[in-house]
Amino acid sequence: MEAESSTSNQQRKRKRSASESSEKPAQFTWRTDKEHRLYSSKLLEALRRVRSGSGSPRTDPPRSRAVREAADRALAISARGRTRWSRAILSNRSIKLKSNRIRVPCPARPKRAELERIHSADQEKKKSVVLQSKAKVLGRLVPGCKKLSFPTLLEEASDYIKALEMQVKAMSALTEILSMIGGGTEGAPGNGMLQEGVASAGAGAGTSTGTGTDSIPPPA
Amino acid sequence: MSSWRSRSRQSNSSRISEEQINDLVSKLQMILPETRIRNNDRVSSARVLQETCNYIKSLHREVDDLSERLAELLETTDMTSSQAAIIRSLLM
Repeated sequence: MEAESSTSNQQRKRKRSASESSEKPAQFTWRTDKEHRLYSSKLLEALRRVRSGSGSPRTDPPRSRAVREAADRALAISARGRTRWSRAILSNRSIKLKSNRIRVPCPARPKRAELERIHSADQEKKKSVVLQSKAKVLGRLVPGCKKLSFPTLLEEASDYIKALEMQVKAMSALTEILSMIGGGTEGAPGNGMLQEGVASAGAGAGTSTGTGTDSIPPPA
Repeated sequence: MSSWRSRSRQSNSSRISEEQINDLVSKLQMILPETRIRNNDRVSSARVLQETCNYIKSLHREVDDLSERLAELLETTDMTSSQAAIIRSLLM
């Protein structure tokens, strides 16, 4: 855990998983390529289902929320039931929706009031009050973790963060690929080959699979 | 209302040792991109918790933005199963 000063993402990923697996063999790491691959496939499948599910034209907000929920669900499934937040996502999906978002801005005020009430307490108590209130905020952010003990909450939070980072990475990679396929006028000639490859696979030709180096006419 | 609860929780939390809390906080610190760069000792637990909340919020925002973009892209992109296979291989 000490030599975490490497800058490149890849190295950090490898070192992190290596050190984690040596220190705590039971601890699961989100940063391996294998997990990334698994999540990406699940994500793709879930998104295809979202797409085919709502065939009729709809307004965008429900669609993006459906995408978000599908991505979260895929993430939770990838956790394989080890963590509370993943189980909470899977069980609460239909209920959660907007009600959680409205509740979030509240806790800022009570924290100050609490501090003033325990004005006479010593440093120790003050510090733990601050920690408690921050922990409460944190508990609201991580799904299903509102009433956990402090150590458990921190563990869930750290796992959740790693999972979220992987989710962001997978979704941005997917977005990039899809925008290259759909857009067509963005930058490098490599896009043209990619587009041709994917488009011909869609048409059933199947010969060039995106890695073709033949002379393919650049997109007009 | 929560001051009483937090007081009783304090007596509970003191059983959870300081060391354990500090250990977990330092583990969290290693995950957060900002605090990891700085020197380990100087960051207080409250700061780490604050950074954690901020980081999770920013990650949520990113996921929301990406969901919106993906939603738009999915509408315009047709995807057969062979295309999906190609996309999947590209993702790896």
